[in-house]
Amino acid sequence: MARIEFQQSLEALEASLQEQGAVVLRALRGAIDAMQTQDVELCDEVIMFDDEIDTRYHRIEKSIEQILAQQSPVATDLRLVLAVLHSSIHLERIGDQSVTIAKLTKLTDGLETRHDLVEGLRDMGSRAEEMVRISLDAFTDRDVQKARGLVDLDELIDRTNRRVADHVLELAQSPAQQEWGMRMIVVSRCIERVGDNAVDIGEQVEFLVTGEFHEFTDASH
Amino acid sequence: MTLMEQEDTPAMPAETTHDVPTIDAARIAEVSHAASAGDLVRRTKVFQVEDLSVAYSGKLALDRATLDIAEKSVTAFIGPSGCGKSTFIRCFNRMNDLIPGAVVTGTIDYHGRGLYDSKVDPVEVRRRVGMVFQKPNPFPKSIYDNIAFGPRVLGMKKGLDERVERSLRNAALWDEVGNRLGDNALGLSGGQQQRLCIARAIAVEPDVILMDEPCSALDPVATSHIEDLIQELKREFTIVMVTHNMQQAARVADMTAFFSVEVREDGSGRHGILVEYAPTTKIFTNPSDKRTEDYVTGRFG
Repeated sequence: MARIEFQQSLEALEASLQEQGAVVLRALRGAIDAMQTQDVELCDEVIMFDDEIDTRYHRIEKSIEQILAQQSPVATDLRLVLAVLHSSIHLERIGDQSVTIAKLTKLTDGLETRHDLVEGLRDMGSRAEEMVRISLDAFTDRDVQKARGLVDLDELIDRTNRRVADHVLELAQSPAQQEWGMRMIVVSRCIERVGDNAVDIGEQVEFLVTGEFHEFTDASH
Repeated sequence: MTLMEQEDTPAMPAETTHDVPTIDAARIAEVSHAASAGDLVRRTKVFQVEDLSVAYSGKLALDRATLDIAEKSVTAFIGPSGCGKSTFIRCFNRMNDLIPGAVVTGTIDYHGRGLYDSKVDPVEVRRRVGMVFQKPNPFPKSIYDNIAFGPRVLGMKKGLDERVERSLRNAALWDEVGNRLGDNALGLSGGQQQRLCIARAIAVEPDVILMDEPCSALDPVATSHIEDLIQELKREFTIVMVTHNMQQAARVADMTAFFSVEVREDGSGRHGILVEYAPTTKIFTNPSDKRTEDYVTGRFG
């Protein structure tokens, strides 16, 4: 094995992506919990925590800049560097979605909620979380099949997201819950975007392994 | 009932279709600098090599290489020392004929004609297929005479001054030496000497220019001059080069052939083989063969 230092820097880069993933998952879990329990303090924590995610993203970007400038990676190495960069951006976006969920939850502080919708959003959040976890595992394992499996999971989330609007319309009968419901449409959309970001990371896994980039689903997903 | 369990609620409206502007792929290909793989496949083949092996005094140096070279393209041969890439490039203008004990088997067709056919004159081959070597090797004569030497020998004496100027211009050297053609060529810098050798090669109107590690004796600035020049020259000539510098192959070549060393199982020695021949972008982003991957990523050795 030659170029030992270069190989070590690639390993460190991949490890920092996984660390960023773990941090993002904590933010997402916090946002969903805060939404469920209407915990304003937790919302603030999630919002503050975003700086940590951004810092990690910038650190990864910086290391990649250095690797490209000094090591001229090619073939698998080049694909790894590119896949890490893209995946890191997708993770950073998931962090942003978590912040939006937390901000919306703060806006609904004290408003009347609806139990079944809260439960539904929580389930949706758990599925999105699971998808992010699977995408990161698929990255580590270079497992294209696992990555492609994300499409089916995403479809479930997409379907639920479409139904949230219908449920909120039903809230027209109870004006006290209406404002809360309107905000939750956006929360649902945020969770749905997290699922999309996980699929995007899955696409990077396929690119990393095969050298071919394909959208798993068409642009409408 | 939770949201996730519901199945029969109306779906969202189907995706709307937009009028997508059509993209003229041909126009994009036209402005693209590098020749595309498909384009190269369609181009006329200058060389068609099949099962070419070379042995020196009975010892196999290169084992059965097969590839085609498209006209007006740059092809780079890369690989570790002893992989047979220089041996291979020397077959394209029959330079191996000059090495005692060298035996070439297999076929190289040059524009459809066997390059090693008994009726083919090796001197004429070398006029059409010029060569530039690793170390610049100008004659200890004036700049003018270096360029004029080949044409004079070949009887191309008409319009010699214009020929010398044209060759120097094509080699991107005229602006630097045009006003001192009588100076001794050995007074030029290394990079200028190498461009002089390229000018000397193109003065006899070749079809192909072979370059055996043309930049390995040059500094980075001189190297980038030669690389720019190669891009210019491929408009008129077919270029085949050997390079130790993988990034150079990545920068300038349309096609790249990776050669490797194979150790014979019977312990009788080692020889070179052609492992993979593909568009340069493929070799450096997604090579098909593990050995290519290991070499270009630097894991080799």
